[in-house]
Amino acid sequence: MILGLSFYMAVILFIGLSVYQVIKFAKMPLHGRMELYPVPQEKGRHTYGGSYMEEPEWWRKSRQISKAAEITDMLKEMLFIKKLFDNHRSLWWLSYSFHLGIYVLIIWTILLIIGALTELSGIPVSASVSFWMALLYYLTVVTGIIGFTITTVGVFLLLVRRIFDPVLKKYTTPQEYFNLLLLLATLLTGIVVWTPDLSFASARQIMAQILTLSVIPNVMLVIHLVLAEVMFIYIPPSKMGHYVGKYFTYHKILWDNEPNLAGSPVESRVKAALATQAKTSWGASHIQTSQAPEA
Amino acid sequence: MNRKDLRPKDLGKSQEQLIQLDNLMPLSFPYDQPEMEPAFPDVKPEWKDKYCTSLDGCVALDTLQRPQNEAEEKELVQKFLNGLEKAFSDANTGVLQPLKLAVDYCAKCNTCSDACHIYKASGDNELYRPIFRAEAFRKIYKNHFTPGGKLYKRFIGADMDLNWETVARLGELAYRCNLCRRCTQVCPLGLDNSLFAKEIRKIFSQEMGIAPTPLHEKGSMLQLKTGSSTGIGKAAFVDMVEFLEEDIEDRIGRKIKIPIDKQGADILLIHNAGEFVAWPENPAAFAILFDEAGVDWTLSSSMMGYDSVNYGIWYDDTQAKKIIQQQMRAARELGVRRIVIGECGHAHKAAGLVADRMLSAEEKIPVESWIPVMWELVKTGRLKFDPSKNNFPVTLHDPCNIVRQMGIVQPQREILKVIAPQFREMEPHGVDNYCCGGGSGFAIMHSPNFEHFRNKVSSRMKFDQILRAFSDTIADNSIPKYVCAPCSNCKGSMREIFKYYQVTAKFNMQYGGLVELMVNALTSLNQPYLEFLEG
Repeated sequence: MILGLSFYMAVILFIGLSVYQVIKFAKMPLHGRMELYPVPQEKGRHTYGGSYMEEPEWWRKSRQISKAAEITDMLKEMLFIKKLFDNHRSLWWLSYSFHLGIYVLIIWTILLIIGALTELSGIPVSASVSFWMALLYYLTVVTGIIGFTITTVGVFLLLVRRIFDPVLKKYTTPQEYFNLLLLLATLLTGIVVWTPDLSFASARQIMAQILTLSVIPNVMLVIHLVLAEVMFIYIPPSKMGHYVGKYFTYHKILWDNEPNLAGSPVESRVKAALATQAKTSWGASHIQTSQAPEA
Repeated sequence: MNRKDLRPKDLGKSQEQLIQLDNLMPLSFPYDQPEMEPAFPDVKPEWKDKYCTSLDGCVALDTLQRPQNEAEEKELVQKFLNGLEKAFSDANTGVLQPLKLAVDYCAKCNTCSDACHIYKASGDNELYRPIFRAEAFRKIYKNHFTPGGKLYKRFIGADMDLNWETVARLGELAYRCNLCRRCTQVCPLGLDNSLFAKEIRKIFSQEMGIAPTPLHEKGSMLQLKTGSSTGIGKAAFVDMVEFLEEDIEDRIGRKIKIPIDKQGADILLIHNAGEFVAWPENPAAFAILFDEAGVDWTLSSSMMGYDSVNYGIWYDDTQAKKIIQQQMRAARELGVRRIVIGECGHAHKAAGLVADRMLSAEEKIPVESWIPVMWELVKTGRLKFDPSKNNFPVTLHDPCNIVRQMGIVQPQREILKVIAPQFREMEPHGVDNYCCGGGSGFAIMHSPNFEHFRNKVSSRMKFDQILRAFSDTIADNSIPKYVCAPCSNCKGSMREIFKYYQVTAKFNMQYGGLVELMVNALTSLNQPYLEFLEG
């Protein structure tokens, strides 16, 4: 009962704390213009890094914005970690193995939940029942095996690289090793708990127990669930929660080239910032504090 | 110390000099021979007593005086900490979000190092690795402004003490980054490492009152006092413009009236006033081109209206804001329709980007770069060219502020395609360009020995790019080779490296802006405009 409930709590906290991080950054004051080209939404220009400022009297012309290019670039980062692929290939192999593995494991988890609910409703998940059940069965097997393998190999190699690469080692803090170790421990115990039966029938049973709050505990399952719960709660406020940070760095800073024109949404934010009196002031003798966004 | 073993914590070590710059990146032909490059001069003993030479032997912060006793040391450390705390307060709203993200989320993947021209030029010296400075900043911040005991601090990497030597070295280290943001471009998490250098500079200036003399006392302070960082007042400026008119007549036999303070003009053109002093052929070329195309334009002679520079954006936001406000006021008083910034990269960024959110929409006059304006005049046939007049190798340097940070990439290339038949790109170029090495103030910082760092280290990658761009003709001294650097600061770097490596005398390499090259190719001109082409 407690194990099932705590698992629900951990998942809710994961979502809640992630949202909290988003709100924390979103509520920060408007920053100065810090875009960096190429900016993908610059329609027709983003391939070479151009902007609307290439146009004479740009403020009199309507801006050509491509949301599709912004989404495409975002997906390239999310799905392929393109920046790392382009600029640091040797690390990309390890990082991508790990991150792709996470995506596959998320799919596997969803399939496992569907499978568990299906079995709870009395329909066995088996290759011989129906096409859809066969699909569910085999997809669970494939995603489970691939997901656990590449995620674990990825995180293990990231740890090894960090230990043996003299530059990375020098800049890595104990907490950053802890992050990788926590992931590795959760994954290894997960392999013991979820994959002894590669048809994942026993995994579906455990998932059904979790969903119905009727977990039959054993030592390994308890260790694994506790680790997973700690991980879920720990990720959002730690730097592993960079899925939040990356949204802001790209969409709200590097790709934010919205000019402060009369009547624009930026204008009202600038006005509000200009009207805010700072409580803190700088100490040097030549200063008189100003409140506007500065960069 | 073995530079590979250097760690951020070592910034506090009592050691005469943390690293030696003795293993620089090799240069391309013909500078691949050791005797082709001057050596670093020795650090004078009196500098060691006066300044902080204990980082790499070079001095950027000439106003940072070594404390004479423990009390002075403590006071400066405390001031630094006060400033660091304020950097994360409402006194620093314009950068709070990007700074907090950069502090929180660095994955220590080290992707940024290979993008940094200073790190690469130094021969991969650990001191200049972008994350070295960032990690030192992070450790000090976490140590002093996050809770927890000793064990916890060690766990999160907040285990760096702060002594006077660390503060001084950090101050110097903040001036070993050109703020070019090339590292930001490759960061998988989109974090901005240049912020750490910039924020340390700001803490030093805005809280401790310490900034390089050429940027502060003889830069932004002088500009706020006299109207220009050159110290030129209104009367002298008007005289200079008259001299320019005479010079144009002497050179090309054309009588041009350069408009000053023309109320209600379409364009207020603002140059970096340094151009009038160092490269008058540049503002003269603008006058010739605008006059020939029949543009309705003017210069301003009112306080702050004739100098586009704004050194504040490199080290002090409050100075930047004061300058921007006064420049805009000058434009509003003239009643012009738009401000066009001449060939000065940081002035583009200051007026075009930084000012954008520092002032309300009503306070501003629209700002644009001269490049699209000029391309429009070329494209529409208002200016006519004979490209055979520029029939020599030309390469283009992309000023970081205009290209990577504003996305103005193509119009200057379109112009070059029309006027320069032997135009060739540097590699890499466009938004992937390397800084000239003079960015963020370096170009105007010389004494006591900072010019050697600039010429040998920060400009090294650019110099190598130039050598490679001209590899086909460099050995032939009869062929002039032109580096087109459409930015005052970048041109300043070119002037310095050209002198340092004697490339004009030895290899007939020349530099200048884009408008000079345009004027030289004008069909209507009977003689060359570029001096090096004159018989």
